[in-house]
Amino acid sequence: MSAVSGRDGRRGPWRVHGLSVEGYRHLRGGVPCQDAWHFAVTGPARDPVTVLAVADGAGSRPCSDKGAELAARLATTHFGRRATPAFPGADAVHDQLRAAFHDVREAFLRQTGDDADDYATTLTVVVLASTWVGHLSVGDGFVVLRAGVEDGQPQFHLLPQADAPSEYSNETVFITTANAESWLRTACVRDYAIDGVLLSTDGLAQIALSWRDGRPDRPNESFAAAVFRSIDNPGHDPAGDDAALAELLRSDRFTAINADDKTLLRAVRR
Amino acid sequence: MRRDRPFRDVPVEYADIEIENNAQRMPLVLCLDTSSSMAGAPIRALNDALQGWTHELHDDVSLGYSVEVALVTFGGQGVNAWQGPHALPPNAPVSPFVPAHMFQPPRLAASGVTLMTEALELSMRIVAARKTELRRSGLQYYRPQICLVTDGQPTDATGHLTDAWRRLIPVLADEQHARRFRLYAIGVGGISELGEEVLRAFAPKFNARLQGFPFRELLQMMSASANAEQKGAGDEVFEKIFSQFKTQRPAWEA
Repeated sequence: MSAVSGRDGRRGPWRVHGLSVEGYRHLRGGVPCQDAWHFAVTGPARDPVTVLAVADGAGSRPCSDKGAELAARLATTHFGRRATPAFPGADAVHDQLRAAFHDVREAFLRQTGDDADDYATTLTVVVLASTWVGHLSVGDGFVVLRAGVEDGQPQFHLLPQADAPSEYSNETVFITTANAESWLRTACVRDYAIDGVLLSTDGLAQIALSWRDGRPDRPNESFAAAVFRSIDNPGHDPAGDDAALAELLRSDRFTAINADDKTLLRAVRR
Repeated sequence: MRRDRPFRDVPVEYADIEIENNAQRMPLVLCLDTSSSMAGAPIRALNDALQGWTHELHDDVSLGYSVEVALVTFGGQGVNAWQGPHALPPNAPVSPFVPAHMFQPPRLAASGVTLMTEALELSMRIVAARKTELRRSGLQYYRPQICLVTDGQPTDATGHLTDAWRRLIPVLADEQHARRFRLYAIGVGGISELGEEVLRAFAPKFNARLQGFPFRELLQMMSASANAEQKGAGDEVFEKIFSQFKTQRPAWEA
């Protein structure tokens, strides 16, 4: 487990929890978890902005665990710095997200130097301001929002993902890819009903999403409902909650579908 | 990656999660020479190795639901696709691919001619058809693997040597350049110089001439390659696995 509980009891309108577990393949090979997540709360106390980030280090690169960690931390710093608590207009949100990614990439390349490719990682970021939500992704991470209720059932929405660069599912774009900025996907959502956000890396894509025509089509509602339920109603023992979630992500049923590292970063309104 | 720990169940808090088998698939074709030169000890060794490999796949938590196995054989009077233990009639409207955790090998017999060219053409056709099916079903896939194994050289249907295999060279070059699949071409037993030339022309990077009939190691190399594919390994990793396989050392266990 690269990181454990991230419940934020300090500030911000969102309760946040993140967890990464190493996949079976890495466990057997003695390879560290190459997924990472991070979050930060920035801005004025009366109108804070929460930034969430998950990153998936490239399986074949020697330092991708460190790359994922670095990317997730740089993302919360730079996206937090660029984010304006007040809604600046949709175009400005897209510009802001792209500019923040540019900052992250510059800092990442500066810090990793000539060996940047050894640190290759995907990056998925969500910015939660009080009146808008921004999303940026490079690579195959994904985001599910919970917003609204129909027939008593919460509604889950998959945000559009970046295009895949090839027909093969194990090939994706990294922040170190030469033309990474042309593969970016950004979104700006304004919906006051959003009360839950889930970010994940591709290790859960076959489980957390339903597929059509070779692409993720919509969230697997039973998965989203279960993992939001456990953060909406945390138990008295946070360590016990973490252990149950880790056990789920490491279960044989999940491993059979995907033996890669798995990350779940959730935020729900308090 | 054998199961060496107790079954890990979904915790009760999450028991209501419904999971479809959306595992990313990896079509794997074993294109095997079963002509008369394989009779006796070689075909027995191949059958035993297939049996052992099947057990390993059944126990493999990560490959079992991802790898899909199809067999194509060339021997007897022609070529055959096999769906697990069953030979399919020509142009059967069903896919020969079987999920690895359900795969059962046939008991192969050796006789007849070496229609290697036709067998590789059939292998390419079933891979292309499987990709189309997977796309239609909304499933993702890794780059398929085709492993050609022979101890001889291509003949026509009457058993005479033929140059017809040369028609495959540009086709295979294009297909491999377009990364439609990864082709391994392995010569075993007493394969001739000409037989080796054919394998080199088919798979310039991944061809080998091995002493004896090390089918067990060969199938383990295919599993190692499937694992590397799942990890998203670069070409250099496959080259390393293959080069160490050629010297018959299990690099994937290092």
